[in-house]
Amino acid sequence: MDNVAVGYERHVVLQNINLSLTRSSFIGLLGANGSGKSTLLKTILGIIPPLGGRMEILPLDGRRPVFGYVPQREVLDPIFLLSSFEVVLMGVCGAVGPGRRIRSSEKDWAHECLREASADDISRKRFSQLSGGQKQRVLIARALATRPDFLLLDEPTAGIDTAAAQAILELLQRLHQQRGLTILMVSHDLPTVRKHVQQVIWLHQGKVLQGSVDELLSRDKLEELFNLELS
Amino acid sequence: METLREIFDPNFLLRNSVYIGLLVGLACPLVGVYLVLRRLIFMGVALPQVSSCGIALAFALHTWGLVPHSEESEQTLAFAGSTLFTLGTILVLSILERRGRGIIEGRIGTAYVLAGAWSILLLVKNPYGEHGLLERLRGEIIAVSNADLVWTLAAFTVVVLALFVFQKEFMLVSFDREMAITLKKNVLFWDGLLFVLIGLTISMTVLSVGPLVAFGFLLMPPLIAHLFASNMRQFALGAAAIGLSSSLLGFYIALRWDLPVGPTDVALLGVVYGIAFLGKKLFNTRRSKETETLRLSAKQG
Repeated sequence: MDNVAVGYERHVVLQNINLSLTRSSFIGLLGANGSGKSTLLKTILGIIPPLGGRMEILPLDGRRPVFGYVPQREVLDPIFLLSSFEVVLMGVCGAVGPGRRIRSSEKDWAHECLREASADDISRKRFSQLSGGQKQRVLIARALATRPDFLLLDEPTAGIDTAAAQAILELLQRLHQQRGLTILMVSHDLPTVRKHVQQVIWLHQGKVLQGSVDELLSRDKLEELFNLELS
Repeated sequence: METLREIFDPNFLLRNSVYIGLLVGLACPLVGVYLVLRRLIFMGVALPQVSSCGIALAFALHTWGLVPHSEESEQTLAFAGSTLFTLGTILVLSILERRGRGIIEGRIGTAYVLAGAWSILLLVKNPYGEHGLLERLRGEIIAVSNADLVWTLAAFTVVVLALFVFQKEFMLVSFDREMAITLKKNVLFWDGLLFVLIGLTISMTVLSVGPLVAFGFLLMPPLIAHLFASNMRQFALGAAAIGLSSSLLGFYIALRWDLPVGPTDVALLGVVYGIAFLGKKLFNTRRSKETETLRLSAKQG
């Protein structure tokens, strides 16, 4: 991202953003409520067009990289009578042409992704009736079903109990280590995130700071940031 | 039994009304499922009214001498007016919704009352349209020509086939639009196609049986089916089955007691909805009592 501005319509949320996502890294996107974390994530995903600047997605092994997206679970309407498996199956839709039926091999892959996310026991349950932690696992399985190079998650641990949040973070850690997945995770929970991520992008008073956990979340740096805020 | 035999007799004078009722009863709920899922129920009420306004304008063009009057041109123009008004309204409402300005219910409500008022104003001094369309506004499904039936059958076949073939795409863009974008799906195209199918169904239904029957069958069968369905297939097929059976039963009641068919169909759907709602409530209360009893006995044990 080179000098990118993000926002909605004419309302600029963040500007002059210069960022790059390193391959196979686990990155935490931190910031206070309303700081523009989700807006930035959606801009990277192409859901919201950037308001200015240049955004380039470099090819990966000669092809365009695939982004697996895990949205905030509240945005999915419970009026849809979909099972967890059917939700995960949506992840393979990108590889299946319009009007084509989903092949059994793709269905097997969806089951495999549910297993990977430790959610195969709830595959037949209705998605809207699952707990917060269970929904999050299903949505991670759906993102895995896209066969992603990058996994981008919007507040995956928000509103769920500590044990479930810990389990989700451990699952992400495992996916990162075993599959070499590049993960970008939006969160406002600094203590939880700092244990798992390697790099941090911190949105602070309209500025975008990027660095390693040791650099950005060190005691000195945090004091410096909060002093800045006080002055 | 005698009445049912009469209804299905190939020489029955009102056989086209029965067939068109069954077609509407089958196709409208399948389209209505998406209106319910996308929480566009108010649109399901307003669009048939807007479609009627389009038909009224088409009839008015004859009166004003802008188009020469003939049976064929009247039908074509009515279809064009109905479709253009419906699709135009969908387009404008979608653009305004995307921009997120104002209150969506307010806009749909305004479209509904304005369309209703203009339909009456355009018809009141119209010697060609007044009789036919006012009958349709009242939902009297009597004079259905063979041509109307064939066109409706053709349009509904296209709609139902498209809903079946592209179910995966329509479900994805309706459930999680953002996910669809990340999967590089052309969201605008799929949304547009779905709205064209909704618009086409509403236009054909209003043209054949009027707005009252159109919004009755678009909304009530899916709302009833949603109370009991446990998956999307049950939801869609249940809605279509409720629509189909209500249409047939409604026609039977109307014929037996000499009532207008459209209002009878809609009133019947209302009764079914009421019974289904109370049944569901009763079932839930009994189930929660049983769960509570089990919980207490487990605690005591």
